[in-house]
Amino acid sequence: MNKFIKIDYLPRVEGEGGIAIEIKDGRITRLHFKIFEAPRFFESFLKGRSYSEAMDFTARICGICPVAYQMSSVHAIEKIFGIEIEKPIHELRRLLYCGEWIESHALHIYLLQGPDFYGIESAWASRQYMPIAKKGLGFKKLGNQIMAILGGRAVHPVSVKVGGFYKTPERKALIAILPDLERAYGESIEGIKWAAGLPFNNNAWDMEYVSLRHVDEYPINEGHAVSNKGLDKSMDRFLEGIQEYQVEYSTALHAGIKRDTSVSPYLVGPISRLNLNNDKLPLEIKNAINESGIALPIKNTQMGIIARSVEMAYAFYEAIRIIREYEKPDSPFIDFTTKAGEAIWITEAPRGMLIHRYEIDEGGHVKSCTIVPPTSQNLGHIESDIFHFLKNNLDKSAEIIKKESEKIIRSYDPCISCSVHVTYS
Amino acid sequence: MKRPRIGVFKFTSCDGCQLSIMNLEEKFLDLLELFDIAYFRETTDRPLTGHFDISIVEGSISTAWQKNDIVDIRERSRYLITIGACATAGGLQALRNWGSITDYKNYIYPSPVIINVLSTSTPISEHVYVDYELWGCPINEKAFSETLISFLIGKKPGIPIYSLCMECKRMGLPCILVSKSEPCLGPVTRAGCGALCPYFQKPCYGCFGPKEDANIESLLKQFQNMGLTQKECILLLDKMNTYAYRKAKIERS
Repeated sequence: MNKFIKIDYLPRVEGEGGIAIEIKDGRITRLHFKIFEAPRFFESFLKGRSYSEAMDFTARICGICPVAYQMSSVHAIEKIFGIEIEKPIHELRRLLYCGEWIESHALHIYLLQGPDFYGIESAWASRQYMPIAKKGLGFKKLGNQIMAILGGRAVHPVSVKVGGFYKTPERKALIAILPDLERAYGESIEGIKWAAGLPFNNNAWDMEYVSLRHVDEYPINEGHAVSNKGLDKSMDRFLEGIQEYQVEYSTALHAGIKRDTSVSPYLVGPISRLNLNNDKLPLEIKNAINESGIALPIKNTQMGIIARSVEMAYAFYEAIRIIREYEKPDSPFIDFTTKAGEAIWITEAPRGMLIHRYEIDEGGHVKSCTIVPPTSQNLGHIESDIFHFLKNNLDKSAEIIKKESEKIIRSYDPCISCSVHVTYS
Repeated sequence: MKRPRIGVFKFTSCDGCQLSIMNLEEKFLDLLELFDIAYFRETTDRPLTGHFDISIVEGSISTAWQKNDIVDIRERSRYLITIGACATAGGLQALRNWGSITDYKNYIYPSPVIINVLSTSTPISEHVYVDYELWGCPINEKAFSETLISFLIGKKPGIPIYSLCMECKRMGLPCILVSKSEPCLGPVTRAGCGALCPYFQKPCYGCFGPKEDANIESLLKQFQNMGLTQKECILLLDKMNTYAYRKAKIERS
């Protein structure tokens, strides 16, 4: 029997995408995750601009993860100029990023993906879910508050500067939110148990997870790229090992790891980070994982909600630690001189590795740049994931296949506005 | 009373302004008491049906299908409000209005011919009648709820139209332009952000677009006196509201 499944415009995901699936005589003949988000050509606009504009420009690629763009660009440029940032600045940037992880993860866990497990159309569609939605908004608000204290506002914060920050916060401004963060941390540990108890599909399979790994800490701003299948590369070598390619049904390029004869899809994001770095989590969070009966590594992408919940708790934990230890540095930034050069930097955006490459000329202007967002790295993997699900569920009705495929896509927390920014190089 | 039906729509944008709606946090849940969110693709599965009392539009028009969609949305709407720099001024992506779309496509895509986009990115108001424009990159969420409530009770939204300098003075911040001699767009830019950049000791880069009757030429002359080249001056305008600043500059000269 033939089945045609089509979703023109996926709901509860960031940006514009759809699905087209065709099953003929029991065989999958078409499986397209269609991206029709209009491209914005930011990499072209950056050419000829001052290095100092890169943070404000690239932030505009994504309203949900602007800090990720600011962090990847500021670190890449600092690498070119040979700037070594000091410990307090490193910690403040980590805190800013924790704010974004909290805001972005809370939005996805409680408002976007959560409703899937309750069979409702939105987070406010049922009375039963309302307390859960409220809790999520409470977490999100705290993430936003951290970003607002450090960067002025949660969407497109303004404080990040090459060499440090334009201005660093007073200790008392941060201390003031500590009680709220401590309460939220406790609740977020409960949130891990809630997420682990949700009803999941059985679509586990053997995937390749890729994330940063760092010797001392759970990776956010630093590290080298590793996978569970032997990949181990420094940041600046990672791009050489992947292949970007264009498909006719998508304004976003796909990416895969170059192997001997083929290009294989890989997964970036919270599941990858957790699977590859859970040894770096504090004991309290490890205990919460064990007590919730979560088996690591996670092999089912629908369980991204669990990984996201673990990371949100960790982001609260880190935020509390950094704030307790915080002393306002004497100077918000260090002085430097601009230099010509080229560098690649990767940071862990809420949705996974965000790669930036810049080439800067003698006058401090951008000569060329490459931006590879996490969602475009995941696009090929999303299709493989749906393929794997379909293979075992060909007998299901078109309606069920449609719903389940939609849920699989949503579980990646795709950021489609971001995904249309990939430079072919 | 029947709650007014609201639709939230997205065109070419970063989603930050839609997120600002969600960033009302618990106040967002209060809004649900007053309004029926009948369409908001990013947060609910509800399909696109019927008419809207208020349509809220994020994003610029940059493809042919968007040109048709915005006409359809206008026809379904009693009031249409644009939110953010993209919908109100074409966004950062309007920088392509000053270059060649073929060059941009070639730079990004291995097969540029299959990318169907317009050569320009333009504000919603160039395509359909807009009842109210909310500026900002991103919008300020308090200004957003003020706007919605104003439409609900039929009054003019109390959103300032004066320049950023007023906010700066009120906050007692030293003038970046005068005291640091840095090129600050504050004098020609709408208030609304709370003078964020001057607070962070950084010159304003124009998130809220040109204020009414802005004398841009005069400010640029001042920048040139400070040593900036003409090209550097234009680049300062060429950001998220490039289309609006350039238009304001031409219209006044």
